[in-house]
Amino acid sequence: MLRHRFPPLGGGTARPTDLIRRKSTGLPFPGQQSPSPDDRMLSRLSKFGLSLPRLGSVPPARFVSQSKQNSSAGSSAVTELHNREEKSEHGEVSQYVKNPDYHGFSSDPVADEWNMKVGFFMGISVALVIGGTFIHYLPDHGMRQWARREAERIICQREQQGLPLIEENYYDPSKIILPSSREE
Amino acid sequence: MLMVLAPTMMLLPMIWLCSSAHLWTSALAHSMAIALISLSWLCLPMEAGWSSLNTFVATDPLSTPLLVLTCWLLPLMILASQNHMAKEPINRQRTYISLLVSLQIFLVLAFGATEMIMFYIMFEATLIPTLIIITRWGNQTERLNAGIYFLFYTLAGSLPLLVALLLLQNSTGSLSFLTTQFFPPLQLHTEASKFWWAGCLLAFLVKMPLYGAHLWLPKAHVEAPIAGSMVLAAVLLKLGGYGMMRIIIILDPLTKQLSYPFIILALWGVVMTGSICLRQTDLKSLIAYSSVSHMGLVAAGILIQTPWGLTGALILMIAHGLTSSALFCLANTNYERTHSRTMLLARGLQMILPLLATWWFLFTLANLALPPLPNLMGELMIITSLFNWSNWTLLLTGAGTLITASYSLHMFLTTQRGPVTSPVVAIEPTHTREHLLMVLHLLPLLLLVLKPTLIWGWTL
Repeated sequence: MLRHRFPPLGGGTARPTDLIRRKSTGLPFPGQQSPSPDDRMLSRLSKFGLSLPRLGSVPPARFVSQSKQNSSAGSSAVTELHNREEKSEHGEVSQYVKNPDYHGFSSDPVADEWNMKVGFFMGISVALVIGGTFIHYLPDHGMRQWARREAERIICQREQQGLPLIEENYYDPSKIILPSSREE
Repeated sequence: MLMVLAPTMMLLPMIWLCSSAHLWTSALAHSMAIALISLSWLCLPMEAGWSSLNTFVATDPLSTPLLVLTCWLLPLMILASQNHMAKEPINRQRTYISLLVSLQIFLVLAFGATEMIMFYIMFEATLIPTLIIITRWGNQTERLNAGIYFLFYTLAGSLPLLVALLLLQNSTGSLSFLTTQFFPPLQLHTEASKFWWAGCLLAFLVKMPLYGAHLWLPKAHVEAPIAGSMVLAAVLLKLGGYGMMRIIIILDPLTKQLSYPFIILALWGVVMTGSICLRQTDLKSLIAYSSVSHMGLVAAGILIQTPWGLTGALILMIAHGLTSSALFCLANTNYERTHSRTMLLARGLQMILPLLATWWFLFTLANLALPPLPNLMGELMIITSLFNWSNWTLLLTGAGTLITASYSLHMFLTTQRGPVTSPVVAIEPTHTREHLLMVLHLLPLLLLVLKPTLIWGWTL
């Protein structure tokens, strides 16, 4: 799962092929390695000021030349953006390394598995299945089936009696008291 | 109501007295049990409209779906927070879960309240745990600014509401929802009544949020930790919608003229925030603006005041609650691995985490309102009722639907498809916990396809 990529760090000893490579890549300094596409993208992204975490060992972008290992001037390589010590303090080591059956709940494997079982049981078997069954067997939720039966019954009754199916007026007109029409 | 409130209140001592090894397990198990009990509210006799009725709280077909959503969300929040809280000291973990539980208590009391002042107090009370969660456990320094925006936008909107409610109490003598629906029409002929009308609605419009007053939402949603984002998107926005639906019954006939600018603003917000989504680089910010877009439709649907409008608004609120919360959980899985919300940083995830890509796909489809999910049904009902009100709204709602589809697909394609970026190559595989979290968001949404009458409210 965790892939470790270790491209060569040092410049290596100069070989004729290096010189040829240098000419073809057009890079200014001797021994400078042309950065991989990922490094280039990372360097562009890191300009935005994001602190990219180093999960796995993706190498940082190199901006400055690296002198050869046997150079007397010492290495002028840029240090990594995140130290390896700092990385392990952050706890970025995956929980799967210690516990291959990690479920995401707890670092203790026993509590982790127990929590997973409780979560699935209570969440799905109890809440969704039992709850769903309860809802399915609710008697006429919202009285909709009753409303349908009642409407059909009333329609039958009214048609037998010859009355209109529904009154035209919502309120009884005789009960409405209107203000008198004369001017005050 | 006590069937749910008492166990929820007892969760607080349980959290503090539980051993640290079993804290999260017990909290999860007990909150799931409470969610199961909350389903009993769905057994509603319709004769009087109000069920579980006592002097202070009751449920009715409008509040019941929201109450069930609230109770369902607590175990999901606990599941989502377990990983990022694991490194904190145990007492801080206990405080965090206690804040989530107290938020749940306030929300249950808010949705169940029969008296408007009680609803107002609970509405304000939910601000405090949310503010603490955002400002204490948020991840960037912007969280302080976000907390201030969140608090003061909502407070500034709700102070007029307090004044308006006190005026109403003075003139009518009662603020109980049970009786306000039977009031004779209020004499609202003066200019001052227009301000009173605006005072009643402003708090809820800011909370929804309406487009002009929406600035707090992207800040608060982005800076909050995952549980904060979930509860904000899923439930707290719906408090605004619920409040509007309750109070709009007594605001007639002023609403017919005065709601016009707000409907247009809401619809314009759908289009504008959708367009902003297309330009977002921050994943959580995209989901936050998408929430504003959907809530704009809800606000328009409520202000239309037709049966289809109100029903569509309620359906969309429930469906959006589940979808938006799930999208925030998915964004959080990215964030926990790369510690960055930049969309372009983590691309091509389908190759690396294929099962997670399935959840991304399904929730993206839900967000863009794919039939037969209730997201579409709600949106369609609102769009139809708006079209009935004025044919021209179809331009805005149609454009909004189109833009929603494009930004949802943009979000999916940017994170899942495309070249695999190098920071993503070696990320940790998904946990069972994360898959469980996604399934618990998805299954209720799918089950609602089978019985949508549960969330139709009391108009249809």
